[in-house]
Amino acid sequence: MTVRAAASRAAFLFPAVGCVAVVLLTPFAITFYRSFFGEGIAPEFTGLANYAQMFRDPILVRSLVNTLIWVVGSLVLPVGLGLAIAAMTNATRWGRWARLAVVLPYAISGSAVAVVGAFMLQTNGAVNQLLTAAGLDSLTAQWLLLWPQNTISAILLSTWQSTGVAVVLFLVGLQTVPVETIEAAALDGADGWKRFRHVTFPQLRAVTVVVVGITLANALRAFDVIWVLTQGGPARSSETLALSMYRETFLLQDAGQGSAIAVVLTIVVVGASWIYLRSNLRSSR
Amino acid sequence: MRNLTPGRVVRNVVVVALGLIWLLPTYLLIVNAAVSNDSYSGTARWFPGSFALWDNIEAGWRAADFTDTARNSLLYAGVCAAAAVLIATLAAFALVVMPVRRKALWFWLIYAGTLLPLQVFARPLFLAASTTNLYDTPWGLGIVYVAICIPFAMFVVRNYLTTLPPEVTESARIDGAGWLRLFWSIHVPLSRSAMAAAFVFQFVYIWNELFFGITLSLSPEVQPVMAALAGLQGNFSAVGQPAVLAAALVVSLPTVALFFGFQKFFVTSLKSNI
Repeated sequence: MTVRAAASRAAFLFPAVGCVAVVLLTPFAITFYRSFFGEGIAPEFTGLANYAQMFRDPILVRSLVNTLIWVVGSLVLPVGLGLAIAAMTNATRWGRWARLAVVLPYAISGSAVAVVGAFMLQTNGAVNQLLTAAGLDSLTAQWLLLWPQNTISAILLSTWQSTGVAVVLFLVGLQTVPVETIEAAALDGADGWKRFRHVTFPQLRAVTVVVVGITLANALRAFDVIWVLTQGGPARSSETLALSMYRETFLLQDAGQGSAIAVVLTIVVVGASWIYLRSNLRSSR
Repeated sequence: MRNLTPGRVVRNVVVVALGLIWLLPTYLLIVNAAVSNDSYSGTARWFPGSFALWDNIEAGWRAADFTDTARNSLLYAGVCAAAAVLIATLAAFALVVMPVRRKALWFWLIYAGTLLPLQVFARPLFLAASTTNLYDTPWGLGIVYVAICIPFAMFVVRNYLTTLPPEVTESARIDGAGWLRLFWSIHVPLSRSAMAAAFVFQFVYIWNELFFGITLSLSPEVQPVMAALAGLQGNFSAVGQPAVLAAALVVSLPTVALFFGFQKFFVTSLKSNI
């Protein structure tokens, strides 16, 4: 009986555990192991050389810097704008139409977003046309051809696509703030901005942590937007770690270097996810 | 109607401005996807002129082999998302309803899959696919898609199952129902909406996926639609800008339609994170 009971539990768990273990966790372990070896078919053990190289090779250092710019950019833009848009549209009846406009790009793939972005940001594209028409010639730029504009352009595109998630999540949070709390604050004479700053915002702490975690993890993983927009170029100047890994591994055939980049990326992503997992687990236990 | 204070006016103006900024790329996409290739001057058109949307779609569709690749993606997204949700629901059922020991360990073992970046799996999977002759086959790509979708689907369904009262299970167990019967006749019907939410979410994820599309497949008979779109953008001078934009527009329609049809499900999936 107990054997049968154990077998039936295993039958329910095994497909999921098996798939994840074989297709995801084992490759992860192999990549980790491989990152300590050099390139070629019979690679030699090189210790931490591949990791050290990431801080020596100017291209990989640039890739690290770009990844950091992505982290900062996606903290400020999708999270900040998402909070602002959720709060401002929650207060007005017609705000849902503005919200719809912001959430729409979330359903569009990174590849399609990048196609539109490449079209708008090329040197004679719509963005520069708009700036010229507004008399802001000095602000026109070669958005995709020079660093750091190309990294910033990709972040702006990703912001266009991903702010909707932050808006949806913040809205869920806003709707759980008790109406009585807000009414009490209104009776005490706290108006618009003050009420938001001191009454509403502190109640959004849990949601903010989740939004930051999700946005960061997604930004760090971003591959398709950059790949289709610039292929990481020109001269690999807009690569982030996700793209550097692809190029080193599959195009330059340096598996050891590519694996080390993947491991560093993993550490950064898991670190970023940790901040929201901690709060998530606390609330669900 | 309450009176308009200066603060309120500013807020309304900001909201309208942000809404318009957000709509601008979509607007330009539609306008320029409809411009005929002959009259396209190399710079963006701001107002609708000639209408050649159907011709452009046809040109982009042919150049990117969408007949094959869109069919592939439909298959990957539909079949793999469904398989992943079923497997994930079985695991979620075991983790919540069955008396499994070390639940946290099993949970983390599965959930870890969604924390790791795809790049860390890529090379070993590429090598494994090559040695097993699964490289550039629908099976190789399909298995990877199923595995990638399991962790988050498990998370969504598990979160829902934990909200069910334990009495549901207990009374059925007293009646002598086995686990499989319990699963199919009670928990699956009850968690239908969570399963649907996970399915729609993963369907969109697979449809939009590019990275494994270009690492594990090559030929149009196997490649997913986003890999074809990326390829088209790579040499867009061949078909012209309007056709490329038309292609991007067409591949976005299914997920945009799903999104608006099942908004509730997306919110459910996202909310399970909170």
